[in-house]
Amino acid sequence: MTSPADAPRYLYGLVSANTPLPDGLTGLGPSGQVWKITCDDVAAIVSDVPEDRRLGRRRHLMAHEAVVEAVAAESTILPMRFGAVITEEGVTAELLGPHREYFAGVLEELEGRLQYSLRGSYDLKAVLPDVIQSDADIRALHERVRGLSEEAGHFDRIQLGELIAKALKMRRQQDAQDIIGALVPCAAMRGVYEPEQDGDVVNAAFLVERARQQEFEEAVDEVGGRLPMVRLKLHGPIAPYDFVPTMGEG
Amino acid sequence: MTMMAQGGGNVERSGGGSSGLADVVGLILDKGIVIDVFARVSLVGIEVLSIDVRVVIASVDTYLRFAEAANRLDLYAEGVKPKGLTDMVQDITQAPAQGIAKGKTQGALEGAVEQIEDMVSSRREREPEEASRRRPRQ
Repeated sequence: MTSPADAPRYLYGLVSANTPLPDGLTGLGPSGQVWKITCDDVAAIVSDVPEDRRLGRRRHLMAHEAVVEAVAAESTILPMRFGAVITEEGVTAELLGPHREYFAGVLEELEGRLQYSLRGSYDLKAVLPDVIQSDADIRALHERVRGLSEEAGHFDRIQLGELIAKALKMRRQQDAQDIIGALVPCAAMRGVYEPEQDGDVVNAAFLVERARQQEFEEAVDEVGGRLPMVRLKLHGPIAPYDFVPTMGEG
Repeated sequence: MTMMAQGGGNVERSGGGSSGLADVVGLILDKGIVIDVFARVSLVGIEVLSIDVRVVIASVDTYLRFAEAANRLDLYAEGVKPKGLTDMVQDITQAPAQGIAKGKTQGALEGAVEQIEDMVSSRREREPEEASRRRPRQ
């Protein structure tokens, strides 16, 4: 595919130069085509850009992810963050050329590994009664509040809510530790994030050897079965989004 | 799209090939290699609208989680509901489904994206005019 040096190219990810592109990739540009631009031992997976040069529609997001995941299913890819556009010439002159060794090193490190993202949240309907039942103070306060009018019980209710929140937090820390502890032996690397919402238990990403995928998934099932009040959502295997460098070569 | 796990009790699964919009947004807008770190990007005229999209998605996602949580709490059956709360819960539960789109979480999220796209587009469409008016003619 020949093109003028300043033609804009949308970037999906970086691979080693000998990585074959799977059939049936559909790019987000008008041609629909996806191809590689190679620079020594590394390559960028690219396409043309939408005619109006606006990126961010749902189909653009889905196309980006579909291309990345199709490649990731077979090969190691460093996914780009959405919205990376550079000129045809810039791909080799600015992106790959000067950082070739660095990208090759990161690719080597991630070789044969995939990511799983795991989120867990409490089934509040199940966990709240349990939290109340298993703490004598909370149980007593709960009983008392039940018998009071809304006005009379106002401060008791606040105190009850506070106790429940504290108990829930302790339980969350314990369960998160339990979940992560069960999965760490099957993973090469992990990234653990702070829960975003009150009912959240865990939010983590794991880098897993392709050969140990099944083992990892079974470990998730096992810990999920052990913690019936936690609803786990496992997303993967996907490209190693959480394990690519975002801050540069430093 | 998500598939329920075959083997494990309460593990819900989605895979690389079956990612929903919410999964995709959480990954590709926040994670991955940032081009600006490695290359001097000086392309004129490329607009990335995703930041606006993300703000809307984040809040819709939050509302839907509240609604979902509220839905799961069977307050009527308990017989201890404080007055007023159930009305509130109903409001929360119904608002996202009615206000945005199709009722299903995914449908609502995708509806939100279309909405913000339209909002952003209509705003952007005015900008080129203004820009060209400001630019001195040669």
